[in-house]
Amino acid sequence: MAANIGILERPLAPTGIWSWLTTIDHKRIGILYAVTASFFFLLGGIEALLMRAQLAQADSTIVGAETFNALFTMHGTTMVFMVIMPAGAAAFNYVIPLMIGARDVAFPRLNAFSYWLYLFGALLMNFSFFMNAFPDVGWFGYAPLTSNEYTLSSSTNYWVLGLLVMGTGTLAAGFNFVVTILNLRAPGMTLLRMPVFVWMTLITAFLIIFAFPVFTIALVALMFDRFFDFNFFRAGSDPVIWQHLFWVFGHPEVYILILPAMGIVSDVLPTFARKPLFGYTTVVAAGAVIAFMGFGVWAHHMFTVGMGPWATGAFALTTMAIAVPTGVKVFNWMATLWGGSLEFKTPMLFAIGFIMMFLIGGLSGLMHSAVPVDAQHQDSYFVVAHFHYTLFGGSMYGLLAGLYYWFPKVTGKMMDERLGKVHFWVMSIGFNLTFISQFIVGATGMPRRIYTYTEAQGWETLNLMASFGAVILGISFLVLLVNLIRSVRNGEEAGANPWNAATLEWAISSPPHHYNFGVVPTVHSLYPLWDEEANAIAPPEEPAHEEPVMPSPSYWPLVLAFAITMAAGGLIIWEGHNIAGLTVMSSMGLLGLRAIYGWSFEPAIVEEGVPAHH
Amino acid sequence: MVPFSKGRSTILASALTALLFLVLAACTSPQSTFEPRSNEAESVLTIYIVVIAAASFVGAVVTITMIIALIRFRARPGHKARQIHGNSKLEIAWTIAPIFVLMTIAFPTIFWIVGTTREPAPDAIEIKATGHQWWFEFEYPGLGPNGTSLYTANELRVPVGREIAITLESDDVIHSFWVPQLVGKTDMIPTRTNKLQLFTPNEIGEFWGQCAEFCGSAHALMRFRVHVDSLGDFGRWVRSMNSAPAEPSPGSAEARGQRVFQLTGACGRCHSITGTASQGRIGPDLTLFGDRSTVGSGILDNTDENLRAWIRDVRSMKPITDDGGVAFMPTFKDTLSDAQVADVAAYLKSLILQ
Repeated sequence: MAANIGILERPLAPTGIWSWLTTIDHKRIGILYAVTASFFFLLGGIEALLMRAQLAQADSTIVGAETFNALFTMHGTTMVFMVIMPAGAAAFNYVIPLMIGARDVAFPRLNAFSYWLYLFGALLMNFSFFMNAFPDVGWFGYAPLTSNEYTLSSSTNYWVLGLLVMGTGTLAAGFNFVVTILNLRAPGMTLLRMPVFVWMTLITAFLIIFAFPVFTIALVALMFDRFFDFNFFRAGSDPVIWQHLFWVFGHPEVYILILPAMGIVSDVLPTFARKPLFGYTTVVAAGAVIAFMGFGVWAHHMFTVGMGPWATGAFALTTMAIAVPTGVKVFNWMATLWGGSLEFKTPMLFAIGFIMMFLIGGLSGLMHSAVPVDAQHQDSYFVVAHFHYTLFGGSMYGLLAGLYYWFPKVTGKMMDERLGKVHFWVMSIGFNLTFISQFIVGATGMPRRIYTYTEAQGWETLNLMASFGAVILGISFLVLLVNLIRSVRNGEEAGANPWNAATLEWAISSPPHHYNFGVVPTVHSLYPLWDEEANAIAPPEEPAHEEPVMPSPSYWPLVLAFAITMAAGGLIIWEGHNIAGLTVMSSMGLLGLRAIYGWSFEPAIVEEGVPAHH
Repeated sequence: MVPFSKGRSTILASALTALLFLVLAACTSPQSTFEPRSNEAESVLTIYIVVIAAASFVGAVVTITMIIALIRFRARPGHKARQIHGNSKLEIAWTIAPIFVLMTIAFPTIFWIVGTTREPAPDAIEIKATGHQWWFEFEYPGLGPNGTSLYTANELRVPVGREIAITLESDDVIHSFWVPQLVGKTDMIPTRTNKLQLFTPNEIGEFWGQCAEFCGSAHALMRFRVHVDSLGDFGRWVRSMNSAPAEPSPGSAEARGQRVFQLTGACGRCHSITGTASQGRIGPDLTLFGDRSTVGSGILDNTDENLRAWIRDVRSMKPITDDGGVAFMPTFKDTLSDAQVADVAAYLKSLILQ
């Protein structure tokens, strides 16, 4: 095998650890995202359970104040940036090319690069734990608490740089998926014949492109305040500017978190209702409208900041307005179920659960849009319950629907239906017990982000119930774990289309060949596999006459991601004066440049000895 | 698989409702937003109930439709799904209908926001509240000796039936002023002055508040009280706050305590007691401390034991991180003897209304 420009030989073997480290196959990258997200879910879950253990009783001393403050900061940051977003990325990566009849994404190496930046950025942030500098300023890091005056330790530096590293990967993925979806669709697949999940991914990618740069700017400005004594957000400047910058990003971010799940649900419901999605065009348009309007509601996170009546009133109205397209989607999903022939397989249970839980989340959000009521809700457990209903009841349930739905495609095996149902019901009981308790305790005045409370405040019973619910919730994931392990080993063989679904990913084998489609299909409708007469797709097991040539793996994405992350680490160590940090930054900078050079000049396909299958 | 039979779902619904009432009955709090004690908190609760009703209405419609759909359209032999793609009329209808529900929330909201712009009543009590890590400072401009300001800390006193106009500032990071039974919160932000929503307490009593914006390690322990007194009692308090305390009898614990406070412990460098040599403004004002319900910004009952423990070692009572160099009260366990601490406590407890 030819060694190309790289110093090391370019690994080309289809199996083994090197094949995973150098993969640029969207399917493998999807699996990497899913496995890594599961690991961080465990971490974030432990952080949650520790908090719930501490809050189960008044005046508890299981966990001290500083630790608790780090726990809620990291639980939020982990779940948002290291779990839900990457789990969404897992779904985009694995499924989008398959759904549009493509053989990979537009920029496969950039795709791998996005994954490695996620992994390394997440590790960088969590590494701070071993340096006794676990971030503890809250997941939205309000100024001036994050400034050097009030947070001397490097905890905030790890937070800022971990986010910048991960965010770079996310932004790259945003561009990648826009280009992929707009350019690599199979012939005949017009935009209005794309599955809803593809649409929602496209919209999410645009949201990423427009929102993440704002966050990047805010983080860089904070970095300059901390490292170089600038004054963007400190006293003498206006700390509220941080809040504006954060939430201009932060609100679209929550739509980035929910739209993919909505997309999954929009494709799962028709499959198990045995009828088309009701109002496809409206559902797609509603998603686009929500994304657009999502940039106009950010200051509803700031109703108590004292912005003045005009700003407060305007944002209250825009926030209420965004309920309209959201409601339209819910009604269309209901109409999809209405008149159907409903099969309650596990993916369907989670899709229905999504609708009901997101309904509660969304309606409680609508309640906060009433500004006077928000004055009693803001920074209390009422808000915490609201966003857990939308993020867990919404995004997580939707992603789990996707997991159960696409597992057969990824592995070629079916998951156990009974264990799936047990997972669903145990999880739903635990989840609702935990968060309904939190709605109530918030209404009785319990603020958020407090490591303890006294018995006289009257919150103990509800907190105990919430903690109990959290344990049940945690146990339900053990059921999922058992199901995953058993099914991967001994699951029933799935075949190409075990659900008798309509979209293109079900036209090819399970798992797909590494080239996905031997012959790129021509599409004539929204439901290619359901429309017999319009079906021009070759049968799934057709052998390609000539196996398509796929781009070769590459290690430069990994190396570049590594170099960037280590340079960020060097910056943290440097603290303006430390030579060791400066050395790390310089050497990693050079390595990064070398990687960019290698990446740019290596051939996409290595000529001899291309492996046939994976 | 049949998810719910009608019988089972009715039983489940009733059980859940019963559980809900049980829980609601069991859970009351001195910080509950559902127990208003001011005109403002009452009108906010009214809007709250309207909003809950609107949300519940929509939630009920969707939930009931869902339950019916799940039962009626479950897969059965011979049952075929209707291949419908959409219905424009329905789309228009369910885009427009929610707007009417939203109006029920929008109108009260806008009226309330407009209401926040009005000027305080001419006889409103004006107070300036400043957030510190991790205590609340309260200043009453014009009510102090010779028309200067009256200062107190952590326990606000206001008269019933009068409008209270509080402005909010911060000395360090962002805090938030929240006393749920009286008024919704507004943030205390450094570099600006915010106005809390005007409110008129309508019941005499003691109401609990808490900082509601994460402000560092001891955020959970930054609480406060609002004492709503009769107008007469409030006036007596103001007069007493502006008078020098009675001289403690010579040789008493209080006298010894006053010496430790002013000389040995140099407490007066940070703490003020009106009419005495202690005039520091770095920490909470301690005038009439003996009448306070709590020690340490609303976190402990004002007992001898708690007060002594607080003076002896503040850092074992509140998680003060020196990360960032917060100027917080030092510990005295190594510089003052137990007897001296007890004397100071006795002195502070002797500072009561005359």
